[in-house]
Amino acid sequence: MSVIDLMHALEHQPFAVAIAESTWLFPFFETLHVLFLTIVVGSVAMMDLRLLGIGSRDRRITELTRSVLPWTWTAFVFALSFGALLFSSKAATYYENIPFRVKMVCLLFAAVNMLVFHFVSERDVGAWDSGRPPLKAKVAGAISLGLWVVIVATGRWIGFTT
Amino acid sequence: MMQKFCDWLSGTWLSQLFANAGWFVPTVQTIHILSIAAVIIMLSMMNFRMLRITRSGPPLQNLAGGYVPWVWRALVILLVSGILLTITEPTRELMNNAFRLKMLMVIVLIVLTAIFSSALRRDPEYWSATPGRRVLGSAIALGSLVLCVSIVAAGRLIAYV
Repeated sequence: MSVIDLMHALEHQPFAVAIAESTWLFPFFETLHVLFLTIVVGSVAMMDLRLLGIGSRDRRITELTRSVLPWTWTAFVFALSFGALLFSSKAATYYENIPFRVKMVCLLFAAVNMLVFHFVSERDVGAWDSGRPPLKAKVAGAISLGLWVVIVATGRWIGFTT
Repeated sequence: MMQKFCDWLSGTWLSQLFANAGWFVPTVQTIHILSIAAVIIMLSMMNFRMLRITRSGPPLQNLAGGYVPWVWRALVILLVSGILLTITEPTRELMNNAFRLKMLMVIVLIVLTAIFSSALRRDPEYWSATPGRRVLGSAIALGSLVLCVSIVAAGRLIAYV
């Protein structure tokens, strides 16, 4: 079974058909997807601006991250779940959509960037938690910010190319 | 009368220019969405603090002092990008009930934000000085959160109503 066969099988599932055929289910899930992604993007941007040494300079990086990250993750799980529901309604179409693929690749890169920062770069954060962030923190913040802008843009483009 | 205005606007060279550039609407909408994300996260951080959902970090007046100027700047970007989108597709926006409701809610949100932040600037302890003010401040914070969610919903529903 090829991936595209899998996508066709997914969009023929009863829940996927229900979303595709209903006048209000898709807009409903889409609205929730957008709402939760604004929380994800806004909170990630807040942390990235701190890493860049531009925003929230009066707060320690670890303190800001500890207070904001739970909200980011919670919102991300919801955004991802509602996004999966939207995807299922026209799985084969979205799977072959270029902006959608770019969005997914960027999400992957954003995850890798975050993991590298958390497990490698942040190990000596004690030395720069309050002061000016080092180059590696600024690079992580800039990459993350750039990726999330592309994620939002390509997310919007999906609607104009399907 | 509004329809006449929409018809006139969509016939202008600027509207035609924007409408014929395929990249214009998605790009401006992306800027609009990013600005909404900024406003929502900044207002939410203040509202959650007022409602005592979050308790750590800088005091409320410091949060407001840092974020509110950026909320106003983001609102300017939202206004400009919103105007550009309306020029491009006047009827889609101005004749749409979801859009009109959204505008009403945005105005209310701006008023609430102005009231809340100006009181804090005059007196950092304003919203915790008396039990009555704490209740009022919490009501404003809750209203602000509900409005943020509703505005995002109404904005998305413009495409479907």
